[in-house]
Amino acid sequence: MSINIDQALQTFIAEARELLEDMENSLLQLESTPEDAEIIGAIFRAAHTIKGSAGLFGLDQVVGFTHIVENVLDRVRDASIRIEGDLVALLLECRDHMTELVNVIAEQGEQLDEAALGREQFLRKRLQAYQGVQAGHAAVVVEPEIESSGASMEGPDNWHLSLRFDREILKNGMDPISFFRYLGTLGEIISIVTLPDALPPVDEMDAELCYLGFEVNFKSDADKNTIASVFDFVRENSSIRILPPHSKVAEFIDLIRTLPEDEKRLGDILVSIGALTRQELDEGLAAQKNPKADGSTAPLGEILVGQRSVEQEVVQAALEKQSQARESKNKENRYVRVQADKLDELINLVGELVIAGAGANLLAQRSNDSSLQEATSTMSRLVEEIRDGALKLRMVPIGDTFSRFQRVVRDVSKELGKDIDLVISGAETELDKTVVEKIGDPLMHLVRNAMDHGIESAEKRLAAGKPAKGTLKLNAYHDSGSIAIEISDDGGGLNRDRILQKGLERGLVQPNQTLTDQEIYNLIFEAGFSTAEAVTNLSGRGVGMDVVKRNIVALRGTVDLESTAGLGTTIRIRLPLTLAIIDGFLVGVEKSSYVVPLDMVLECVELTESERQGMKERSYLNLRGEVLPLVPLRTHFEIEGSHAKRENVVVVQYAGQKAGLVVDELLGEFQTVIKPLGKLFSNLRGISGSTILGTGEVALILDVPSLVQQAEHAEQS
Amino acid sequence: MAKTILVVDDSASLRQVVSIALKGAGYDVIEACDGKDALSKLNGAKIHLIISDVNMPNMDGITFVKEAKKLPNYKFTPIIMLTTESQEGKKAEGQAAGAKAWVVKPFQPAQMLAAVSKLIMP
Repeated sequence: MSINIDQALQTFIAEARELLEDMENSLLQLESTPEDAEIIGAIFRAAHTIKGSAGLFGLDQVVGFTHIVENVLDRVRDASIRIEGDLVALLLECRDHMTELVNVIAEQGEQLDEAALGREQFLRKRLQAYQGVQAGHAAVVVEPEIESSGASMEGPDNWHLSLRFDREILKNGMDPISFFRYLGTLGEIISIVTLPDALPPVDEMDAELCYLGFEVNFKSDADKNTIASVFDFVRENSSIRILPPHSKVAEFIDLIRTLPEDEKRLGDILVSIGALTRQELDEGLAAQKNPKADGSTAPLGEILVGQRSVEQEVVQAALEKQSQARESKNKENRYVRVQADKLDELINLVGELVIAGAGANLLAQRSNDSSLQEATSTMSRLVEEIRDGALKLRMVPIGDTFSRFQRVVRDVSKELGKDIDLVISGAETELDKTVVEKIGDPLMHLVRNAMDHGIESAEKRLAAGKPAKGTLKLNAYHDSGSIAIEISDDGGGLNRDRILQKGLERGLVQPNQTLTDQEIYNLIFEAGFSTAEAVTNLSGRGVGMDVVKRNIVALRGTVDLESTAGLGTTIRIRLPLTLAIIDGFLVGVEKSSYVVPLDMVLECVELTESERQGMKERSYLNLRGEVLPLVPLRTHFEIEGSHAKRENVVVVQYAGQKAGLVVDELLGEFQTVIKPLGKLFSNLRGISGSTILGTGEVALILDVPSLVQQAEHAEQS
Repeated sequence: MAKTILVVDDSASLRQVVSIALKGAGYDVIEACDGKDALSKLNGAKIHLIISDVNMPNMDGITFVKEAKKLPNYKFTPIIMLTTESQEGKKAEGQAAGAKAWVVKPFQPAQMLAAVSKLIMP
């Protein structure tokens, strides 16, 4: 077979050269007789034939370029554009380029050289001026392999096909039996009931017409569109009804319920879940145009059920969904638009109120006046509620940011020539508006990167046994006081060795250093790091990942990366929920106070005397059989003074890692307004901000992620 | 006995690849390079299905289909037209002439096989 194909390819090359020769001659003739329709027709045919044959051999480069030329020629043929000297010259150049493309194929798959590619770009640009509106890239549509299912489903739950063919079907050379045979390749035909009701008396019967109706019980895993495609050629004048098995009905209803709530028309909902084919919808809509006897028009749902295209239950679910979507739309209309500045001002004031409240509380406790204490505690509860309420005002779901990427993924995948699906989950996860605004750009970069470098080309994917269509996932969820955003692709994963090599070249890694896979992967976030072999216009210029990281760190967030060779890469961004106010846990070392974000505190334990002795040699603790690395704040911040009589350990957790902070005193929960540190302190490790206590003293807010990381490293070394 | 398919296209390479695919699936194939050639090949052999291009020199696909439909032996023979996405009008013309099935160029051999097997089995 492959020898035959090779021969056929040789035939193609010879034929294409011949056609191109003819094309050249015809074009030259055209210069003197520009209106000659026959010559124009011949030129068009040449391009058309080359494209058709090239498509059969999968020569996409030839198809793509020739398609545009053919397009222009088609417009010349139907006199949409006039032949003039410039156009003939351009077409001659195009012909030369096509010859070059064919030569490349003749020379066994060498790539076009740079200069030729440049010429092609230039030609494409010039051709654009002559192209119609519908011009685009050649759609080399490869239908997905039809899945034939030998797999048996349980029970009598099958598809039901109700077929009334066009009576003329036999005259058109189509035999119903052949369709049933083909249907048999998609699944198992359980039974066919033939309905002779429409048969006229013998003397009136025309032997060339098909009077029979068929009811088919069909068992298959194929979807409705695939089954409907069997009857593509006989759709006209035939009545083809395909009812899904009952289990499918439940599946459709589930699908409808999980659809995002945007207002869609009933038909579109049903088509989008695959319960209805486009043709059935068009038929239904056409039927709707004919008013009923009393002059009213029937609702579409009723018509669709009437023509047996969908089940009543499915329509019902879709209608419910629709009204739900409308309701939520109505809710949207009840929104009050507020200027963001006003909101920020409010948050600031609430912050001050929190501090002032804490001050009043402290005074009340010292005064020993029980009624004053009661009053302040009521007040502080209310302040807390106001704080939560004010912060919620600024919380917006991340869904809007995510859904912007639908378009991006669609456009970029076209640009790259890859077929990529975007799956969004956790769209309802809320986070602070200021964070949402700033996360857009880094996300955009990561998404483009994943599409360009992460997901492989269709051929590579198929070779690796993966579906040709790539999947990109965006997911968001709340995790211990922070929000995690994941961008994952099912691509080839990172090339560990190449990154390590590059890291060595760039001096980011010392030759004798041993790194975990995790650390190697994270090298790509270093400045000026790019392993892409070719720079595309999407990514791979080596700027980017480090900028992404910097942007995220500026939001007090972190970014890390997981990758499995051949299976894909997941990048996880963690961000604080809000930038303004947190619940804190106050601890004291000597005379200073520190605040740990309460969400990260797991528990507190007292450090026993023997453990304190042991700490001198090692910096970890046996916490119920688990190794807990310790960070003594006293040494970390180089606080002078003698050791306190008693010490405590605050167990904190971040991103699944635990560490123990050794402090003197535990001072309890405390609402904290985060005041950023000045630029001067931006290099300080382990501190993320400051706050003012009720007494007017300043307390530092600990940067738990960096402390945990430090403990982690200390433990390893 | 294997069913016979007539493939009409002015591109020899297209005919060759389609032939290889169809023969591989168990059909017999006769080739013709244009409408006139195809009409002459209809006499004599028993052909079960015709695959024809639209744009061809000498006699184009639409005329060929109309002529073929006039022949008593080929009144009921299924015909697949090869159209391109830019030729929606041609598709309608072909259907009016009696070619109810179509495959859009450029196509992969597997797509052609699927279309053929909807109409006849080898």
